[in-house]
Amino acid sequence: MSRIGVFICQCGTNIADTVDTEKVAEEMKKIPGVVHTQDYKFMCSSPGQKMLKEAVKKHRLDGMIVSACSPHMHEKTFRRACESAGINPYMCEIANIREQCSWVHHDKTKETGTVKSLDLTRMTIERLKKNQPLKPNKIPVNKRALIIGGGIAGIQAALDIADGGREVLLVEKTPSIGGNMAKLSETFPTMDCSQCILTPKMVEAELHENITLMTYSEVEKIEGFIGNFRVTIRKKARYVNEELCTGCGDCWDKCPFKQDSEFEHGLKKRKVIYTPFPQSVPNIPVIDAPNCAMLQKGKCGVCAKVCGPKAVDFEQKDIVVEEKVGAIVVATGYDLMPNEHFGEYGYGRIKDVINGLQFERLASSSGPTGGKILRPSDGKEPQSIVFIQCAGSRDEKKGVSYCSKICCMYTAKHTMLYRHKVHDGQSYVFYMDIRSGGKRYEEFVRGAIEKDGAMYLRGRVSRVYEKDGKVIVQGADTLSDSQVEIEADMVVLATALVSRPGADTLAQKLGIGYDKHKFYNEYHPKLKPVETVTAGIFLAGTCLGPMDVPESVAQGSAAASKVLVLTSSDEMIKDPTTAIVNDFTCNACWDCVVACPYSAIEKTDIKDREGNVIRRLAHVNDGVCTGCGTCVAACRSKAIDLKGYTDEQVYAAINAF
Amino acid sequence: MEKALREKARELLTTGEANVIIGYEWNRRKTRATPAFITKADEVDRLIFNPLCVNNLSIYLTRKNKDILRMGKPAIVAKGCDIKNIVVLISEGQVKREDVVIIGMSCNGVVYKQGLWKGELRPEIMPVKCHNCDVRNPHLTDFVIGDHIDFTPPETPRGMVFDKIAALDAKTPGERWSFWLEEFSRCIKCYACRQACSLCYCERCITEKNVPQWIETSAHQRGNIAWNLVRAMHLAGRCTFCGECERSCPANIKLNLVNQKLVLTVKDAFDFKSGYDEKIHPPMIVFSPDDTENFIK
Repeated sequence: MSRIGVFICQCGTNIADTVDTEKVAEEMKKIPGVVHTQDYKFMCSSPGQKMLKEAVKKHRLDGMIVSACSPHMHEKTFRRACESAGINPYMCEIANIREQCSWVHHDKTKETGTVKSLDLTRMTIERLKKNQPLKPNKIPVNKRALIIGGGIAGIQAALDIADGGREVLLVEKTPSIGGNMAKLSETFPTMDCSQCILTPKMVEAELHENITLMTYSEVEKIEGFIGNFRVTIRKKARYVNEELCTGCGDCWDKCPFKQDSEFEHGLKKRKVIYTPFPQSVPNIPVIDAPNCAMLQKGKCGVCAKVCGPKAVDFEQKDIVVEEKVGAIVVATGYDLMPNEHFGEYGYGRIKDVINGLQFERLASSSGPTGGKILRPSDGKEPQSIVFIQCAGSRDEKKGVSYCSKICCMYTAKHTMLYRHKVHDGQSYVFYMDIRSGGKRYEEFVRGAIEKDGAMYLRGRVSRVYEKDGKVIVQGADTLSDSQVEIEADMVVLATALVSRPGADTLAQKLGIGYDKHKFYNEYHPKLKPVETVTAGIFLAGTCLGPMDVPESVAQGSAAASKVLVLTSSDEMIKDPTTAIVNDFTCNACWDCVVACPYSAIEKTDIKDREGNVIRRLAHVNDGVCTGCGTCVAACRSKAIDLKGYTDEQVYAAINAF
Repeated sequence: MEKALREKARELLTTGEANVIIGYEWNRRKTRATPAFITKADEVDRLIFNPLCVNNLSIYLTRKNKDILRMGKPAIVAKGCDIKNIVVLISEGQVKREDVVIIGMSCNGVVYKQGLWKGELRPEIMPVKCHNCDVRNPHLTDFVIGDHIDFTPPETPRGMVFDKIAALDAKTPGERWSFWLEEFSRCIKCYACRQACSLCYCERCITEKNVPQWIETSAHQRGNIAWNLVRAMHLAGRCTFCGECERSCPANIKLNLVNQKLVLTVKDAFDFKSGYDEKIHPPMIVFSPDDTENFIK
C-alpha cells in the first residue's frame, strides 16, 4: 500500500475564499493509501516546504499530492522539495485547485469549489498510485552554435557566444553581414552614425577566432535535437575564390553591366560583380549570376581578366556542407511591407514617394547622394517632405493589425535629419498616435517637434498624387477637425515591418512556431522571450516581431546567454516525461513517425543473429521527444505510452471521478 | 481468363518468382469460392476466377496471418477493390511493394448471394461497390489478367448506402444517435468485422489492451458503442469500402454505412480517397502545410 501525503494550499485567500481546504484535508484522509493530509496558508513558502519535507520523514511518505496552483507555477518547486526529502521527484503530483477551481468559482459558501477540489484531489491521488519513479535523461551536448542571420542581433549573439569560448557558425543569406542596420544613417535617440557603431562589430565577428562566417549561404535542412543538431548548409556559388580574393575592387570597377542595388533599395545601381556596400564583411564580391553576361551567354569575362590574384572562377558551383551544432539562434530579421500595398499613397508609381529605409539611404553619408537629401525624380533638394506614419501598420483591412513599433521614433529622427541637412525645409508628419515609450525616446520626439520644427498632424492621408512636379498629399487633421492638402516635394512612408519571405518555410524546417504574420513564436512572451518550443533553438531580433536596435542587441545577448548555459556542461539533463513504444505491440504502421512534430520517432530494425531483419519497430529518441503526446493519440494499437502520463494513470484518474 | 491465370501462376511458381499463390478455388460442393494457397506448380488448376470470388484476399498479406507469411513470397490474385487495400498496406509499411506479386484481375463485378448466381452477371445481383467501381481495370499490378473493361462509374456515387447516408444526414443528431444505439445494440462482439478487414492488422487490437481496459469486452451497450465507434474512427481515411466487414457481420450491423460516411467526410475535408497511391500516408495523421483547411495553420 502506498503512503501518500496530501498537502492543500490556501494560497492566502486565492483558494481559501471559495474552497474549504480544511474539509478537503479531512476528506482525503479517508482514501486508502493516504497517510497524512494537511492544509496551509502558502505551501510554496519556505515554512510550507519545510513542513512538507518534515512530513515525508515523519510519516515515511513515498508520494505526495500538492493541491495548489497550476503545475506551470510550482510543480518544479515541490518536486525539488520532494527530491531533497528523499523521494523521487516524479512521485509528486499537483492537483490544480486554483486556476481550474477556486478562481472560476464565485460561490462564497465554498460549496461548489470544495466539491470540485475534492474531485480533483481524489483523481490525482488515484493517478499518483500508478506513478513510476522516473530518472532524468542525460544527453551529450555539442558545444558549437549556429546563428542564422548576420544582422545586428545575430552578430551580437555570435560575439557573446564566441567570447564565452564556444565556436560559432554565423550563416548569412546575403553576400555580407550587417543586415538592415547597415543601411541606417543615424540611430535614435543618440543620433550616432549607424555604420560607425555597427562596422566595428562586423569586423570583430570576421576576425574572431571562434567565429566562422558563412556568407551567401542558406540553411537547407535541420535534423537532430538539442545538443545534437545536424545542419545542411548550401554555400551558394560566389564565382569568386574567397581564399585568393583581396577585395581590391578592380573587378567591379571594370564590370560593364549594372543592376539596381538591393542595398540602396533601388536608389542607385551596382555592378554585376559587387559587394553590397563599401564596408561589407567579408569584403569579397559575388557575381549576380542571372545578370552576368559571361555566365549566361559566355561573353565578357572582363572581371576575370583584370583580377590580379585570378580569384574570379566562373566554374564555381554551390557547395552543400553538413555541420554539427548543439544550439541554434535564429535571427533572420525583417523586411518592409512590399509596395503593392500602398496604391493610394502612390508608392512605386510616384518616384518621389519612398519608404523609410530609402530615406535612411538618402540621409546616409555613404548613400547614393553622399548624405544630401535629394529627391529621386529630379535630384532637387526637397523644400518640404510629408512623412506618413502607420503605412500598413495598425490597419487590419489593408495591412497588418500590429504596430510596427519603431516608425514613430525613426520618423522623428527623419524630420531631424532633414532639418539638419536642409535648414529651411519643412517636414509634416501624419500620425495616429505617437508611441515613444523608452528611455529618452519621448524627449527625442519632443525635440523633433519643438527644436526642429516638424509639424505633426494627427490624422490619416487619403490620397497622394502628382501635380506639376509636386506631390500633393490630401489628408485629415483630426485635432483641428479640418481637411488638409499639402504640396510637398517628397513623401516618406513609414512602411510596416513584416517578416521575411520564406520565414514560414524556415520555421517548418526548424520545427518552431510562428504567428499569422509569420513572426516566430517565443516559448513564453514574458518569461521565456528568446526560447522556442523546440529545445535548443533560440530567437533574437526582429524575426520575433518589430523591435529597435537596442532591443535586438539585448535579445542577441539574451539568446547567447541561453546558448552558453546549454553548452556549459558536457551533458544535458532532460525531463524524462517522454513517449515510449511497447516493442511487442508496435505494428510499424509509422503513423507515429508521420505524426510526430519533432521528428523524434525513428524506424528501427530488429535483427536476428544472422543480421536478417525480422521486425521493424518505431523507436522514440528521448533527446528529441518533448512529451507532447501526439504519437500516443495517433497510435491505433495503443502501443505508445507517455512516461508520467501513462494510460494507466489517466484511466485511474478518470475512474476516480 | 482462368486459363491465363493458371498459366501465370504456374510460371511464377516454377521460376520461383513467388512461393505461394493466394487465390480462389471452389469449395467442395462447388457452390462458392474460397481462398486457396497454392505452393506447387501442378496444383494451379485448382485456381478459379468468377463473380463468386468475393473475398478480399489482402488480409493474407498482413501480420494477422503469420502461417501464410511463412510460406514465402506471395503472389496474390486481386480485383481492383482488393488492390486498394494492398495500396493502403504498402503506404502504412505493412507490405513492401517488392515483396508481393500482384496478379490484377479485370472484373465486371461480383455477386454476394451465391444463390442468385446462375452463370450470368446482372446488375441487380451486384453490390453497391461494383456499381460505383472505378478500378474494374486493376490499378497497381505486376500482371493484368483479362481484357480491358470499358466502364465509367457515375460521377456521384449511387446506391442504397448513399441513399441511407443522405437520409441519416437529414436527421437531427439526437435521432442519429438513437439510430446507431439501436444498430450497435445487436453487436455480439464476435470481432468478425475486424478479422475480415485487412486494414485491421494490429497484432494487439485496442480492444484487447487490458492495462487499462479502455473498451469493455462484454457485448453490452457501453462496450458495443465504444468498440464500433473506435473501429470506425481507426478506419477513417483508410477504409476503401471493400465491404468485407458488413458482409461478415452475423448481426447485420450496417457497418458500410458508418465507414462510407467517413470515406465521404475525408473526401470532403482532405480531398483524399484511400487506396489509389501507395506513396501517400493516409491523411488523418499527416500534417502538411498545403492542407486545405486553414484552421490548422
